[in-house]
Formats: sequence, structure tokens, C-alpha cells
Amino acid sequence: MRIGPRETSPKVTATVGDVRAAAPRARRPWGAIGLFLGPALFFYFAFIIYPVLVTFYNSVHTLRMDLGMTYEFVGLQHFREILSEDDIFWRAARNAMTWAVAAPIVDIPLALVLAFILHGRVPFARFFRTVWFTPLLMSYPVVGVIWLWVYNYDWGMANLVLRAVGLGGYAQAWLASPTTALPALILVTTWMFAGFNMVVMLAAIHAIPMEYLEAARVDGAGPWHRLFHIVVPLLRPTMVNLAILDFIGKMKQFALVWVMTRGGPMWGTETVATYVIKRAFEWKTLDLGYPSAIAVLWFVIIFGLSYGLTRFLQRREALEF
Amino acid sequence: MRQTLTKATLMIPVLVYTVFSAGPYVWTAMMSLRTTDEIYKSHYGLPVPPHFWKFVTAWTEFGYATYFKNSAIVTVTAVAIITMVGAMAGYGFARRRFAFPWREPLFLMLFLSIMFPPQIMILSLFQILIKYGLFNTLAGLILVYVATELPVTIYLLRAFFAQIPQELEEAARIDGCTDWSMFWRVMFPIARPAVATTMILNFIYFWNEFLYAVVFITKQEIRTLPLAIQFLVSDQYFDIGMLATGLMIATLPVLVMYLFLSEWFVKGMTAGAVKG
Repeated sequence: MRIGPRETSPKVTATVGDVRAAAPRARRPWGAIGLFLGPALFFYFAFIIYPVLVTFYNSVHTLRMDLGMTYEFVGLQHFREILSEDDIFWRAARNAMTWAVAAPIVDIPLALVLAFILHGRVPFARFFRTVWFTPLLMSYPVVGVIWLWVYNYDWGMANLVLRAVGLGGYAQAWLASPTTALPALILVTTWMFAGFNMVVMLAAIHAIPMEYLEAARVDGAGPWHRLFHIVVPLLRPTMVNLAILDFIGKMKQFALVWVMTRGGPMWGTETVATYVIKRAFEWKTLDLGYPSAIAVLWFVIIFGLSYGLTRFLQRREALEF
Repeated sequence: MRQTLTKATLMIPVLVYTVFSAGPYVWTAMMSLRTTDEIYKSHYGLPVPPHFWKFVTAWTEFGYATYFKNSAIVTVTAVAIITMVGAMAGYGFARRRFAFPWREPLFLMLFLSIMFPPQIMILSLFQILIKYGLFNTLAGLILVYVATELPVTIYLLRAFFAQIPQELEEAARIDGCTDWSMFWRVMFPIARPAVATTMILNFIYFWNEFLYAVVFITKQEIRTLPLAIQFLVSDQYFDIGMLATGLMIATLPVLVMYLFLSEWFVKGMTAGAVKG
């Protein structure tokens, strides 16, 4: 992650501390260190690190909930089964990947255009910014219910608009068909996140020195020219960050699916996150080992892909400047 | 002339997007003040006359009082704990005085766990909570919430504490401050803007959280609002009007605060975006 490591490097703290502090001092104040870091480290190790390790451990076992959580070591058998036989996993992985790739492709350019327009001194810009940001503040169940209504075949807003503009032929039950359900859900996350991406990009555009845009205007560059030749290149780092965040967020998508479609129809909106929960608590297999193995696999894939994506996108950026 | 024309054309996409963005929620808000019968007659009618009594009915008869109370308990407690624990840790990780050999690798690990997918912990947390009698309790949910938001909270506050000049610390020490009183009397008050940002971020996250709640809470009387709504969708599938009222109850606390503190909210959510 680009936002992070740069700021977290030890140098940041070092620049602030004075030189004398570097000289050997009295003994380390272990009491104070324990007092300040102790509670946080307790939470962190007890509820994050320890569970992660347990999940890894569980992933090579069969763990029957109905038999009082008895462990049986099975080695890598779960992983073999997931990769070679589990069609639903592959379907879920493909859906999650589609979501993770499609969302940034839609969200980021949309947010960029909106930010650029608002930057062009549109009246009531603050009002629009405030309104567009609002969907992000609602919980997924709330958003899910509202959009179940929007997609209602008979009286939902989606079909209402289509019928109103004479495209009534396209009106359909959006969540009932495996081909339209996933795109319909992707649109919902766009609705939630476009405003947020817009706000971040608007701040980045405001940070561009006014002279650049003014000079281009004086030279006769139209708005589109200014957008593509000045704003986009300068905003590239911001856009890359937002795209990666969007990608990771969508790889983890659970709640919206759970509320709106439960993964249906015909696994059309199943994501890996929902599949893990289903395998653990809804299927009659009652085995926590297998879903743990899926979780481990997906965890590795998310980390690998986000690392790769960060490197790839940032290298291209380095080449261009 | 040409300028006004460009402005006017710019307004078209702005207005179209605003309708798209606000439309669904405004529509829900209107339905929340209409009875289901009225809604079935015309789904897009105005709430005339507005049935404000529906909020009372939802609150008293459909359990929203309980769900709201549960959400409030979880959110307020978790925010209070995470703010104290997170601020102390952010301070401990930031200041040179507290450096020890494994501190930076530890912090890097903490930072990386910001983007852990919840699935990597949730199944074993389920086991652990059962083992310690915390499954199906609000206390268990609170502990998990605090833990999952700690990394991002510490990350944000550490960045702020690291910027406070060393001179200030030394001046306070000369005045006789211990580490403990220095933190609470000098550093924490200075960090109030950053602390407020994380409080808002965590408040929204806890109020809206769904995944952990759905796995760790199975008793109806301790459901939080997001969880309750998920169940009410299937229970009152055809009672759209009442469900819409419930959605308003679930969102209004956050949205009303957003109305007054929108800059802070935007700042908080943007800062928290490192989570992905």
C-alpha cells in the first residue's frame, strides 16, 4: 500500500525527535511502554493475531462442530479439494474478481469527471459534495433494502426510469437473472463509493497549483484537454491509490450480497466471503476446517494481488515521469 | 454569455448524478411517512399527510427501541475503549522516548493487518468467543470491534503524535510531568482533532457493522440495527412502509450528525480509507 509504508517508515519519527534523544539515556521506561502499548497489544494479539494463526491451523484439519470441535489432521487435502473440485469456489472467486476489477474501472473515472466538474466553480458545489458523499454513511443492510426496492420489477426506480425514457423493453427483474444480478450489485457499490472517491480527487485537484490550469486556459486548452493533459497525469498517484483500495474492498465484499441476493441466483453473485460463511454455518457439513482453508487461500490471494498491483501500477507511474 | 452557457451544460451531469445519488434515499424517506396501503396505491406519492406516528409504532411495536439501544451500547462503549486504548498506543508507537528494539517491525505488522479480510479471523473468533462465554453477548461483539479497528486507529493517531515537537515534551517534563500525566494533560488534549477524526470514523464503522454481528449474535433481543434490518426484510417483506420507517431510524443518527459536522465526517471517512 502506497499510502502506508511511506509514512510508516521509521524516518518519520526520527525527524521529529531531537538529536540529544539519540544519545544513550537512562534505562528504557519499560513501565510506561507497557502501560501505553500493553492494552492495545493485548487486543491485537488476542483478537487478531491469535485467531489468524488458529485459522491457519484449522485449515489443515477437519473440525467437526457437531462432535464437540474434534480435530482431525488432514494436511493439504482441503486445499486440493478447493482448487480441483469445488466449482462453487471458482464461481465465487470469479465473481469477486469481476467485482474487484469492474468497480475501480467504473468508480474512478466517474469520480474524476464529477470532481473536475465541481472544481469548475459550479454553484452550490459544497452542497453537491455533501449529498454525493452521503451513501457511504449508511450500513450495507440499509443500502441493500433500499436497492432491493429500486430493482423491484413492478414499481422499482430502475424500471420506472427505463419506461419513462422509452426503454421499457429493457425493464426486467434485475436481481433474478444470473447475468444481470452481479452488474446490478456492482452499480450499488458504485452508488456508495463514487462520492467518496470524488471527494478525495477533488482535494487532490485543489492541490494542483492554479497556475498550471490557468496557463493552459490562456493557451486555449479546452476543459477536456485540461482534464486529460494536466489533471489526469498529476492525479495519477491518487487514482492508483483509490483504485487499489477499491479493488481490495471489493475482494472482501460480503454484506451487500448477504442482504440482497444471498449469492443467488444460481451462484451468480456468490463471493468468496459469503461462501466461507455459508460453508461454515449454513451447510450441513458442520466442518470449520474447509471454510478456514478457503479463507487462508483468499487471504494469500488478496495480499499477493494487492502487492503485485501496487508494484505494477507504481512502476508504470515511475516510467512516465 | 459563453461562460454562463458552459456553466449550464456543466449543471446537467451534476443534477443527473444528484438525482441518482439522493433519489433512492429521498424516496425511502417519503415512504417512511406513508402507510403501506398508501404506498401500494402509488409508490411515488408525497407523504401528505405525513404519518409521523409510524416512527412511534416502529419504536414500540417492532422492536426498534431494543435494536437501537443495542446498537447504541455497542457503539458508545467500543468507541470509548478504542479511543483510549488506541490513543495510548499511538502515543507509545510515536514517541522516541518509548522506542525499543522490536517496535518498528511490530508497528509494520499492525499496519499490514489493516487490510486483513475479516474471513481470516472470523471462524476462529467464533470458536474463541464460544470458549470464553462471549458468544452471543454484546461484550464479545464490543471486544471484537475494538480489536478490528485498532490497527487503523493506532496508525492514524501515531502519525499525529509523531508530529508534536520534542521541545514540548521536554518542557512538560521539566515542569514535573510523569509519562502518564504528560499523556493525559498535555499530549491527548493537543491531539483532540486527530482523536475526533478517529472517533467519527469508528462511530460510523461500529454503528453500521454487519459481518461480525451476523456471525456472533443469534439471539433476537441483542440484535444490533443492521442485523435487525436483515431479519426484518424477510419478516415484513410486504410491509414496505414500516420497513422504510425502520431504515430511517437506523440511518438518522448518523445522517443528522453528518448534517452538522459534514467536514469532520468527510475527513474521518477519508482518513480511514487506508482500510480498503
